[in-house]
Amino acid sequence: MLQYIIRRLLYMIPVLLGVSLVIFILFNMIGGDPTAVLLGKNANARAMADLREQLGLNKSLFLQYLDVVKSAFTFDFGRSWATKQEITYMITQGAYPSLCLTIPAFVISTVLSLIISLVVAFYRGRGIDLFVRFFCIAGMSISALTYILAFQWIFAFELGWFEISGFEYGFPDFIPYIALPAIIWIILSIGPDVRFFRTVILDEIYQDYVRTARAKGLSEVTILLKHVLRNAMIPIITYVVIQIPFLILGALLLESFFGIPGLGGITLNALNSSDFPVIKAMAILSSVVYILFSLLSDILYTFADPRVKLK
Amino acid sequence: MKENSLWKDSFKRLAQDKTAMISLVIVIMYTLVALLSAMGLIASDWAREVGASNLPPSAEHWFGTDIFGRSVLAKVLRGTQVAMSVGVATAVISIPIGVFLGAIAGYFGGWIDDAVTWLYTTFSSIPNIMLLISITMILGKGLFAVYIALGATSWVTLSRLIRGEVMKHKEREYVQAAGAIGGGHMRKLFRHILPNVTHIVIINTSLQFQIAIKSEVILSYLGIGVQGEPSWGTMIDDAKLEISRGVWWQLAGATLAMFLIVLAFNLLGDALRDSLDPKLKGK
Amino acid sequence: MNAPLLSVKNLTVDFHTSEGVTRAVNNISFDIPAGKTIGIVGESGSGKSVTSLAVMGLLQKPAAKIPSGEILFKGQDILKYSDSQMRDIRGNDISMIFQEPMTSLNPVFKVGDQIAETLRVHKNLSKKEAWEKAVHLMDLVGIPNPTGRAHTYPHEMSGGQKQRVMIAMAISCEPKLLIADEPTTALDVTIQKQVLDLLFRLQQEYHMSMMFITHDLGVIGDIADDVVVMYRSNVVEKNNAQTIFTGAKHPYTKGLLACRPKLGANPKRLLTVSDFMNESGEEIKIDTAKVVVYDKEVVPEKSSDILLEVKNLVTQFPIKGGFFNRTVDQFKAVNDVSFTLKKGQTLGLVGESGCGKTTLGRTILRLIEPAGGQIIYNGKDITGVYGEELRLLRRKMQIIFQDPYSSLNPRMTIAEILTEPLVIHKVGSSKQERLDMAKQLAEKVGLKVAQLNRYPHEFSGGQRQRISIARALMLRPEFVVCDESVSALDVSIQAQVLNLLLDLQDEFGLTYVFISHDLSVVNFIADEVGVMNAGRIIEMDKASRIYKNPKEEYTRMLLSAIPKGETKSAT
Repeated sequence: MLQYIIRRLLYMIPVLLGVSLVIFILFNMIGGDPTAVLLGKNANARAMADLREQLGLNKSLFLQYLDVVKSAFTFDFGRSWATKQEITYMITQGAYPSLCLTIPAFVISTVLSLIISLVVAFYRGRGIDLFVRFFCIAGMSISALTYILAFQWIFAFELGWFEISGFEYGFPDFIPYIALPAIIWIILSIGPDVRFFRTVILDEIYQDYVRTARAKGLSEVTILLKHVLRNAMIPIITYVVIQIPFLILGALLLESFFGIPGLGGITLNALNSSDFPVIKAMAILSSVVYILFSLLSDILYTFADPRVKLK
Repeated sequence: MKENSLWKDSFKRLAQDKTAMISLVIVIMYTLVALLSAMGLIASDWAREVGASNLPPSAEHWFGTDIFGRSVLAKVLRGTQVAMSVGVATAVISIPIGVFLGAIAGYFGGWIDDAVTWLYTTFSSIPNIMLLISITMILGKGLFAVYIALGATSWVTLSRLIRGEVMKHKEREYVQAAGAIGGGHMRKLFRHILPNVTHIVIINTSLQFQIAIKSEVILSYLGIGVQGEPSWGTMIDDAKLEISRGVWWQLAGATLAMFLIVLAFNLLGDALRDSLDPKLKGK
Repeated sequence: MNAPLLSVKNLTVDFHTSEGVTRAVNNISFDIPAGKTIGIVGESGSGKSVTSLAVMGLLQKPAAKIPSGEILFKGQDILKYSDSQMRDIRGNDISMIFQEPMTSLNPVFKVGDQIAETLRVHKNLSKKEAWEKAVHLMDLVGIPNPTGRAHTYPHEMSGGQKQRVMIAMAISCEPKLLIADEPTTALDVTIQKQVLDLLFRLQQEYHMSMMFITHDLGVIGDIADDVVVMYRSNVVEKNNAQTIFTGAKHPYTKGLLACRPKLGANPKRLLTVSDFMNESGEEIKIDTAKVVVYDKEVVPEKSSDILLEVKNLVTQFPIKGGFFNRTVDQFKAVNDVSFTLKKGQTLGLVGESGCGKTTLGRTILRLIEPAGGQIIYNGKDITGVYGEELRLLRRKMQIIFQDPYSSLNPRMTIAEILTEPLVIHKVGSSKQERLDMAKQLAEKVGLKVAQLNRYPHEFSGGQRQRISIARALMLRPEFVVCDESVSALDVSIQAQVLNLLLDLQDEFGLTYVFISHDLSVVNFIADEVGVMNAGRIIEMDKASRIYKNPKEEYTRMLLSAIPKGETKSAT
């Protein structure tokens, strides 16, 4: 087990090198010379050379690549072009508002989806099942942008039930600001979640061991909640854990619409101001977090499924 | 005597599925609109002023007009061309890459498999939205960057699915039988295994298509997608400023247009999975 | 005599699907007296499993409908019971074990808990009491070290042990009726014997009634009191076991009895159901010419030329392990095997699953690379042959696989499957010529020419195996490995395919290596038999001699495990 974790940790290295390589190719090789962007069209050659020196662009490509790799381990991403702040500082500042929104929304939507899918699986093939399935698909077919615009307009603007935009730090204070975006998050997640959970649960329901459980005289509810759910939890855990990195990435669109100063908002601002280092930093950071959580999900998998024996 | 291939069986089953058939009709209609628009036969004059500014929907202007007095319906139709082109381009880029890499990794195993697995682990480790943003930002705004970005992200799922399926089929006795009668790698892989995994490509493409459409809308909304042409995403971006003034029809038009095609692809994907998956056959 | 424990009266079961209504069980009646064992025999699709599920109340609800009939258990019609009443009976008064021990247990729970669960549901035992009882039951069904094994998960057990766990679970509440649906079909012969003995012992000890469902009449000879024979949804014959085995009346039953190869006799061909009965189910006269019995020992050897010589053959698979998942050891699946095979002869290889017989067969064909030794085919060592030369060799050596469902490419027509070998080896000048060759051979193996443009899924298991055979023979090979080629088939179909293999051997002068776990089948078809265990051939001799005078203890054990195909009272 320990050996597996160590080996899995070691496998992170080539993947991290790969991620760095992709980002390096994108930003350092294809991205071209950013000095013109930074200094404007009328910059003199001298200033451009200085800036190149300062940004480390005079180094060989290999050394530049090493810089990218290094930042993936040290989280030292340099400064933003737009705000001139340390990017690491910007990220630590943005994490709090983002997590205030995403964690509650994520927990509620996951639990709710699981309950819905169990009910739907119990009544599989009947009216309620078809109804929920159709709503999931229909809900998924509407753009996230539409939900945000329509909900903000109706519930915050017209009805005034929620704050239209902004954020306040501290526990109870942020609730009015995150409530509406959290509700939208939940609506957006329930569709795909229920669809996935339902499929997984139904896959299990038609297994032979369920027939055995019936032959034992167990009730359908016991079979679903004990035998089926325990097996279905294995893929469900993996699916849920692998979503966690996206919480850290923040809710890009929600944050920008609702004026929440989180990581998602930072990313979008950087996008609008062509702030390459911030985008690059967010890409590296989110990849590192993703890799860590996929490791975690693999490890949890081995606990959830006794059949997986890892040496 | 009539032959009855698995494909024929599948399509027969599909034809009996009413939702699937309605979805298919919707997809065909959108394709027609996109083609006619691309040929300049419809909506080519979308930029023309047809009435006053911000007219609500009426018998004359079904979807109303925008701030410049342009027909929202024409913009929606023109946007269809953009949306469908993104879906097609994504498929054209991702299917060859995904199938090729997945197939050789699953079939040959060994270092080839290690390399391909590493490649798609790397790509799937960068959250899609970050990769999309990075690529479009660096390649410069525009539709071309969107094609490349979506192509670069969508081959990963297909490749992983194909790899798993090829590995499974490689061990089947019919493939070993092909070896026993003297068939080489090429025959085993292309004549025997690939026709048995094609359904995965079809199902996956149907689902990827709608993901591509949704992504294009968001990228265009963010201003890094299509430029100088209407797209459902830019229409929603326009609507952001209009909606507080009660001008909702541009949002509704774009949303409805996108809803129908995404819904159709979702339902079609499900129906295809049910009818093409040979697991259900003979059991 | 008292009223029977279970009485099925005029039961009919229909399945409603989108394609229409199928009658799975048609107006059948039979009784199971208390403390007796009833065997229900029939081929797949005859309705025997549906009957058992109907008794359990486990038929798939919306699709399955019971338009008429009664199932009386202790005088009560349980078809009228509510769901909760049926739950009280299931696992308690009536319990069931299934065919697939591999998938019938829940993979994520300890086996001890799974047995205890039944007790807790029906007997209101505390957690601790139920666990102790579960351990006791595991001991009772012969699982060694039950205290420790109760903590293991299903995947850590062998197939036989899993089936024992299933049995422990089924008898935990001391049911009045135990339904066993093909409980030994998925198991090796030796394990099958042990499980049958166990079921018989438990049935006696607990004075249970048992409903034993099987496609193989031979299996239940030892344990059944009465036999019910089902054919195409109907009961065609029911009687006490002795009468069935000695004086069956219905031609289908006669066919079933005759088609099973027996150790004592050496018929030239096996009689099959179709020798007794025509398509519409009417009895026909047996062609006496087919009932030739001969002694293999006095049959002159067909030839003295050696076709194949295997010398010290070794095949190994790497065992991965250690920190970097590198090869740390080699598992010798085939370990130092040597034998010679003459032209036109059949070598039978028998052994339990995992003994290396399949690997040996594929190594000889060079589908798996050998690690050492020599394969001398027609006087030439072929272990070092590659590329074009190996491809040419494939024309001479062929294989017929086990699983008729996975050995044919589902996306190719039968014509494409049969002509593919010709295309690869550029035999025949035109498409039409190849097709004609395929037609010719298809007729020889008993397929209709009109069926050639169909796809594999439209054929039954037996027909698919005929297609596989035809494919293997398209290139007119001299040597064919039959790898468990009849093991997945019902006994009646198995006999037809065995006859076909013998006919083809005569006609084309084929040499076979016939791999099987079933000794009676090997005895029927093989001239010489090699017994394999742990990668080695431990005993090899003329077929007739090995069955009369086995030298090795292991061989004796394999032999004693074969069902006699007779009743217990007759032996």
